[in-house]
Amino acid sequence: MTDQEKIALLEEAFEADEGTLTPETELDSVDGWGSMAKLTLIVLMDEECGKTLKSDDIKKFVTIKDIMDYMG
Amino acid sequence: MAGFVLEGIGIKGISCAVPKKVFDNTEFYDKFGKEAVDSTIKMTGVRYSHRAPDEQTASDLCFVAARNLIEKKGIDPAEIGAVVFISQTPDYRLPATACVLHKRLGLSKNCMAFDVNLGCSGWVYGVNIVGSLLKTGAIDKALLLFGDTSVRTVSPEDRGAVMLFGEGGSATLLAKDENDSISGELMTDGEGFKSIIMPAGGFRNPNASTERVEQPDGVVRSAYDGYMNGTDVFSFTITQVPKLIKNFSEKNGKTPDQYDALILHQANLYILQQISRKTKVPMEKIPVSLDRYGNTSGTSIPITLCDAYGDKSNENLHLLLSGFGIGLSWGVVEANINSDDIFPIVVTNEIFTEGTEVFD
Repeated sequence: MTDQEKIALLEEAFEADEGTLTPETELDSVDGWGSMAKLTLIVLMDEECGKTLKSDDIKKFVTIKDIMDYMG
Repeated sequence: MAGFVLEGIGIKGISCAVPKKVFDNTEFYDKFGKEAVDSTIKMTGVRYSHRAPDEQTASDLCFVAARNLIEKKGIDPAEIGAVVFISQTPDYRLPATACVLHKRLGLSKNCMAFDVNLGCSGWVYGVNIVGSLLKTGAIDKALLLFGDTSVRTVSPEDRGAVMLFGEGGSATLLAKDENDSISGELMTDGEGFKSIIMPAGGFRNPNASTERVEQPDGVVRSAYDGYMNGTDVFSFTITQVPKLIKNFSEKNGKTPDQYDALILHQANLYILQQISRKTKVPMEKIPVSLDRYGNTSGTSIPITLCDAYGDKSNENLHLLLSGFGIGLSWGVVEANINSDDIFPIVVTNEIFTEGTEVFD
């Protein structure tokens, strides 16, 4: 998956407008980064990346790049 | 996987009872704010739930369900050779609540009675336990009673939890029938024992404070309140449960959508939708009761059955049923149930007052 594809998936998951997220974006500044977004992210990781995301992993995410790195 | 087959055993009756009081989650607007309440309702799908007064216990609800079942089925209580009460909200620390229910139901002394501590997976485990007792014992009929009053197990400040749970009790009759059989698979992952936990009240944390203070997850609770790591439980559920449902169906030469219905523990609506998507069983085949009854722990499978089929006449249902949650523990059961054996939900305020006066 390219970085562009990853960002597109994350924008969809966080209900963010296209082109608003960059690898440097801090998650705390993203409006949609709430409990629902975390569940959506778990589904996304399971579906798109075959990974089982846990709460401890999510706690370590600071920027969009952290999530992209996890996606592999 | 821990599979089982109970040849010659069938599910012959299901009855449920819920408290009279209906709670509307929008009553939380003042406490938690309209926006937070509305988004929680949207995610969980739970708008209403039945809630018991403090004095009414899970066993009161199971008692009413069992009495209704015995009446409707026209059974002599003396025929019942075992009663198993599964709950996480028993009447007392000691003795087993099953013994209290044995007395209240007027069962014979020739009857086994004991409790099992399980939650959302409890009903599917109970089918295996009670079915196995029938299989190995010289008894023909047995009762599986599952009930929980979960609302009072969590902090009133815990929005996600107080808006999710409902309360109810159920009674399921299992009996010998040479033309019937039940099969299933039961699973456990003890690594997740902390994912849903009430740390105090047992013997591990004897001196825990009852004071409610803000915890790292931002919720005000004490060690005597239930805690759930919603993220990890969600993650576990959407990976392990669909996998079990698919593998079990495949072993039986089916796909999950070939059953008449998939009856799921009513965890929350978003989870049901994810399981639907991953098992490829359309939501039309997954009855939903949580919108009106909430997540009633292990009672949610029988409540969903009684809600969906309580008024249906003589339909032979070939069902796949799955419970999952605290433990972590999960399982699946395949069974044939005739809708005539599934009764409408009873509403009750009955309380066993004799149970509070013990030191005589």
